[in-house]
Amino acid sequence: MNAIELSGLAFGYDERLLFEGFNLEVAAGELLGVIGPNGAGKSTLLRLVAGLLRPARGSIRILGRDMGALGRREVARTLGVVLQENPFAFDYTVSDVVMMGRNPYLGRFQSPGKHDREAVTAALEFVDALFLRDKRINAISAGERQRVVLARALAQEPGILMLDEATSHLDIAHQQLIARILVQLNRQGKTVVLLSHDLNLAALYCSRILLLDRGKAVACDVPERVITAELIRSVYGVEPIVTRHPESGRPQVMLPVAAPGQPQITQMSQIPLAGTPESQNP
Amino acid sequence: MQRRFLPGWVVLILLLVAASALSVAVGPGGFTGAKLSAVMDLRLLRLALGIIAGGVLAVVGASLQGLLQNPLADPFTMGVASGAALGASLTLVLGRTAGAFAPVGGFAGALVTMLVVYALARVRGRVTVTGLVLAGVIMSFLFSSLVMLAMILGRRTLGEAVYMMMGHLGAVFTGTTVWLFGAVAVLSVVGCAWLFSMSRSLDIMSSGEEAAETLGVDTQRVTKTVFVISSVLVGAVVSFTGAISFVGLVVPHLVRMLFGPEHRRVLPGSFVAGAGILLLSDVLARNVVPGGLPLSIVTALVGVPFFIYLLRSRL
Repeated sequence: MNAIELSGLAFGYDERLLFEGFNLEVAAGELLGVIGPNGAGKSTLLRLVAGLLRPARGSIRILGRDMGALGRREVARTLGVVLQENPFAFDYTVSDVVMMGRNPYLGRFQSPGKHDREAVTAALEFVDALFLRDKRINAISAGERQRVVLARALAQEPGILMLDEATSHLDIAHQQLIARILVQLNRQGKTVVLLSHDLNLAALYCSRILLLDRGKAVACDVPERVITAELIRSVYGVEPIVTRHPESGRPQVMLPVAAPGQPQITQMSQIPLAGTPESQNP
Repeated sequence: MQRRFLPGWVVLILLLVAASALSVAVGPGGFTGAKLSAVMDLRLLRLALGIIAGGVLAVVGASLQGLLQNPLADPFTMGVASGAALGASLTLVLGRTAGAFAPVGGFAGALVTMLVVYALARVRGRVTVTGLVLAGVIMSFLFSSLVMLAMILGRRTLGEAVYMMMGHLGAVFTGTTVWLFGAVAVLSVVGCAWLFSMSRSLDIMSSGEEAAETLGVDTQRVTKTVFVISSVLVGAVVSFTGAISFVGLVVPHLVRMLFGPEHRRVLPGSFVAGAGILLLSDVLARNVVPGGLPLSIVTALVGVPFFIYLLRSRL
């Protein structure tokens, strides 16, 4: 059974359609990366699958069930979403925030029970953030906050996780930590969909990559067939250098020093730097 | 877990009890004399009005701050108070100063405002919190200027209208208005309980509408329900007391300092604290200056320094 199945999907923010006749199947247990330039429709795709936007036409099926037939609480028990921006207007504690992930299981007047508290503890432990439980959400670092928001999604106990730019504001240690958590979740059977601008991270960790461009699926295949110089050039309009990762052999992308036709910067030492001894002492 | 909030509750309840006692005991009429029982009736009604008004304004302020994800929201952000002021001023200008006309006119003005703001904020069947704030602020400006127009057209009632808009607990209770006030009190308790039942949804909405939606919250239903309840309650209260400023803005922040941001504690805490603080302000308003001051002057004089302190300590 497919975790996510989109068929004949059409959607546009105005009269112009961004997606038209869009099809996608994400198998259960897959770790899918979604890449593409700004405006390609990555976040729109996530919002459609999460039920935040309604498609003009076409169907969205989650674990074999039609999205229209599922209530939002049912969707929240199946699909955990980590959005790009996570502002908190008020300073909740970390454990309060993660407990919000239990909302789809709690009745209106029901207080969280033993199982809910255990789910919160387990989620915080999984992302290595249990020590933050009594901290205020606006008093922790960006990397810690990203882990907490991920823990909130895990507390939903969903079979599918979707993340929008989960690593974009983070240092490389935190990027690696988040990526490893996602790989580990994937090994435990969760379907993970990772939207990212980081081509190298996607190539390194995802089993399959969807390359989007203006609402079209340019390619959807193993990283070796998607992260190629030709495809990257045609979609992003840059002249990339594609190499292999020395350990895994996965493709990795680097940018050239200058685009063709632009002046080359030959040596760093030729650039006058303010504040160097020479410039102060002519 | 709950025990650590006990001192906070004790403080708030003592505040309310002390404020109630002062409100009943102190006043221009003194506490002795032949007319004591008549004075006491007036003061007890004033006490009830103060508790309902302070409680409702603070609970609505807290709910709207959560819903709008904006710590600067207050019960009047959505324009209801200026609509009520317009309705009440129109009845004054038309010469209907007696009895139940001003409260009924005020409440009607509030309800009309609510419907207009709601209609303006509705785009393709969806009501967004940004839409509500924009529509509410715009309507506030329009209705405030119409109130001024009404005041200029009906010069004789100017003083009364000013007093009305700046807030007071000196509502004149006649046979009809006592019953009306009873209805408002029942409405207030039901409305505040309803808002309280949405505490968890309000908590989750404060991390953004989209995130709340992915956590299973029906944000449209919460937005519409909180907006309608808030507008009805504020309209009902304001039509008796006028627009008492600052209580709905400052009290929720005060309570969050005691209890943290969770609405299941902030909302009931705000009711108690709002009632206590409004009663204390009223004691000051009617005893410090002969003839009494409009309440908003006192709440603002007390509230502004506190709010500046709050902003400075958080920035």
